[in-house]
Amino acid sequence: MPAKMERPLKVMLIDDNIIDLKINSKIILLSKLFDDIIQFQSAEEALNYFHHYRNQPEELPDLILLDIQMPEMDGFDFLDKYKNFPPATKEKSLIAMLSSTLDYGDIKKAEANPYVIKLLKKPLSPLELEKIFKSNFKY
Amino acid sequence: MTRSPVKVLYIDDEENNLLAFKASFRRQYEIYTANSAAEGLKVLQNLSVEVIIADQKMPQTTGVEFFKSIATTYPDPIRILLTGYTDIAALADAINHGDIYRYITKPWNDLELHNSIKNAHDAYRAKIDLRNKVMELEKTNDELNRFIYSISHELRAPLVSVIGIVNLVKMEGLYHSSGEYWELIESCSNKLDYYIQKTLQYYKNNKNVSDKSSIDFQRLVEEIIDLYAYTDRDTKFNLHINQSTQFMGDAFRIEVILGNLISNAIKYQKASEQNKSVDITIEATSFSAEILITDNGLGILNEHLEKIFTQFFKTKNNKGSGLGLFIVKEALNKINGKIDVSSSLDQGTTFKITIPNAG
Repeated sequence: MPAKMERPLKVMLIDDNIIDLKINSKIILLSKLFDDIIQFQSAEEALNYFHHYRNQPEELPDLILLDIQMPEMDGFDFLDKYKNFPPATKEKSLIAMLSSTLDYGDIKKAEANPYVIKLLKKPLSPLELEKIFKSNFKY
Repeated sequence: MTRSPVKVLYIDDEENNLLAFKASFRRQYEIYTANSAAEGLKVLQNLSVEVIIADQKMPQTTGVEFFKSIATTYPDPIRILLTGYTDIAALADAINHGDIYRYITKPWNDLELHNSIKNAHDAYRAKIDLRNKVMELEKTNDELNRFIYSISHELRAPLVSVIGIVNLVKMEGLYHSSGEYWELIESCSNKLDYYIQKTLQYYKNNKNVSDKSSIDFQRLVEEIIDLYAYTDRDTKFNLHINQSTQFMGDAFRIEVILGNLISNAIKYQKASEQNKSVDITIEATSFSAEILITDNGLGILNEHLEKIFTQFFKTKNNKGSGLGLFIVKEALNKINGKIDVSSSLDQGTTFKITIPNAG
């Protein structure tokens, strides 16, 4: 069900690959679906951001595009931490996973996670992004 | 290399026999003796012997009973049964249940017993060597599979970035800005990605894990069409899927099989055909799923029909990798499925697959 969203809409990219951060933020920019893009090269940095702005919901992203394979803290580890976020945060910041994985185990695990609204495959397709946007946000 | 002497355990309730055995063989073997099955078991608990000789006729526990009792706990030592009389029932029982290697009558002949112990030890070594070899092979096989798997992942990540960049180029309207270079980069990248995906499918299929999950054919087929039809919007799909019961099967392999066949049906259409179509008929029962995939595409030459399931078989005119149908066949082998093909050139091809319901 589409959540009520007010602009500006923020999207957060978490990906250890700097090239993919660049490509995906450009695709999002060209899609004009979001107003603001926050990028992190590690899940830890993203967690720090959430901690830092825990009392300023307007700074939190409306959508997180989360990579799966990352060194140290991977996408699933991030989801474990996310699980314990305050309910209001979880309601605001939806998560889609974005990965080049073809690993059946990873795919199943991502699909089974209740917080993951969708597993997107790299390269990010503007069409898929729009689909997610339309089914989750109305503005 | 000097090998440590063969460890032999001899169990007999007659003290004289134990002494005689020791006297005859102590120079050749490392001998342990026990005067009852219970004592014998104690020896086994404390060290690993290679050959066990047991007398059949003992109070409380007979030789065969003893061998039966250690069948699962100590499967490795080779067993020799000694008996003073030829009891055909005991013999049959020994062979059928005790995993007995030799049967020797008492009083024993030193040479015969010596040879039997020697042979038994060889059998023991062969058994252990074989097991070690199998373990070694499983390990290297497993390592190889994991290596290929992770290499494929590592190769794919940057490739997918390249495809992402090409998408960006398209979005920014630059696709035709450098002649056909972007198009060529895209086509090469897609080809490479296809090979990597097939490699992954092949190795994943090779691993012996098989899962049993509930298959919804309607949903699965729709997802696959969604996935592959974006390259070709002209093809019309006619689905006749009739699934009345729950169907249990290996979700990954069934997806690989249908995915490869459906993408082939799309890929090998005639460019000139006005009404490109693919018919998919599935009849899923509690017994099996019968799947027919028919296209009105290029068709396959008669002399090629037998070879299409061979690894790396390609034809001159077609753009295949020679992996798709090979993987289909391999995946079907793993799940006891069958495939038949009939085709006529320029008319189309029908693949008929049967997959047993594992529920």
